[in-house]
Amino acid sequence: MRRAACLLAALAALATAAARAETHRLDDSLTHTVPPNVQMQWRPMQAAADGSGAVEAWVQVNVRLDTRAFAQRSGRVYLVLERDQSSPVEAVWSSQGRLQAGRVVSGERTLVFAGAIPGATLEDQLSMRLRAQTDWQSDQRRLNFHFEFDAD
Amino acid sequence: MFRRLLAPRSIAALMLIAVGSPAAFGWSISLNQASRRVYLHVGNGAPAGNSNATSGPINVVRVNVPANQVGNGVPQAMTSNSTQSTSLQGDGYATCLTPASQLLIGASYQRNNAGGGSAPMSATLRVSSPAVLTNTNGDTIPISEISWTVSAQGSPVPNVIPAGTFNGGSQFLATIPANTYIENCHSFRYANSARRAAGTYTARVTYTVTSP
Repeated sequence: MRRAACLLAALAALATAAARAETHRLDDSLTHTVPPNVQMQWRPMQAAADGSGAVEAWVQVNVRLDTRAFAQRSGRVYLVLERDQSSPVEAVWSSQGRLQAGRVVSGERTLVFAGAIPGATLEDQLSMRLRAQTDWQSDQRRLNFHFEFDAD
Repeated sequence: MFRRLLAPRSIAALMLIAVGSPAAFGWSISLNQASRRVYLHVGNGAPAGNSNATSGPINVVRVNVPANQVGNGVPQAMTSNSTQSTSLQGDGYATCLTPASQLLIGASYQRNNAGGGSAPMSATLRVSSPAVLTNTNGDTIPISEISWTVSAQGSPVPNVIPAGTFNGGSQFLATIPANTYIENCHSFRYANSARRAAGTYTARVTYTVTSP
């Protein structure tokens, strides 16, 4: 019985690894924001009364993804906003057209591209608005993003 | 048999490492929290959402007392040149329906909760006034001859900034709790309690919001 349990655990681990293997974290090391640091601004209190965020800021994101490993493969690219210690941040963006416009909240991911990866790089420029509440752990906060590719 | 059980575990561990290795990728944005901020408008002003906006003109409240009514003890309603009827806090609500006789005053205090909220919990709205109004001949009228009532269309707290009478000094008007906006309409009147020398008497009162 004990050996069977160990074997099942091992198989479960293998199955989990196999399922995750289709999600790849893309090399987005050449992606950067302008400016790299932004100052949040207060929103009118009436506008923020619906819980949509008391402060906001705008940033430009120059996206450059290294997709050489997936060129011509079909799948979906997602933008992920990682969760941190404070209440969720909302990011809403428009694009130049290569990637899709969209919205993502901390701890979630949103589709930005679907289809065959066109080549070695995937580039676009996003105009992103960030909104947050005021319950931060300190006066500064770092938002971590990354891109994921789910192959079909 | 023990070895056969070890092998899959090793494979699984290696695969998890392989999956985890691209974690070096990713990009980030550093955010600086909005600074503590107070906002105030008296009469015509800029919307509360414009962080760098400054106020508009200094509005004038005035009254012309007919010669045959000077000093008869009948209070005289004052008019203003303000045209601000709608709230400046963001919803455009018509708080003061008749700005020619109502001066819309709005104030707010915003702070973040960083570090457990070390910034003060509230701000203070005050008004300061000189002791007298004066004319070009040096004649004076006590500023205490001017008082105001308050109202606010559709508000459950129309007296959030209370009615009062200028006292010739700095006087407390209201506490503004953190992340709240207060506003109402002030209608001024001249008490007209004594005869005065003819002339145009003026004085300037100043409203301030402070957070230590």
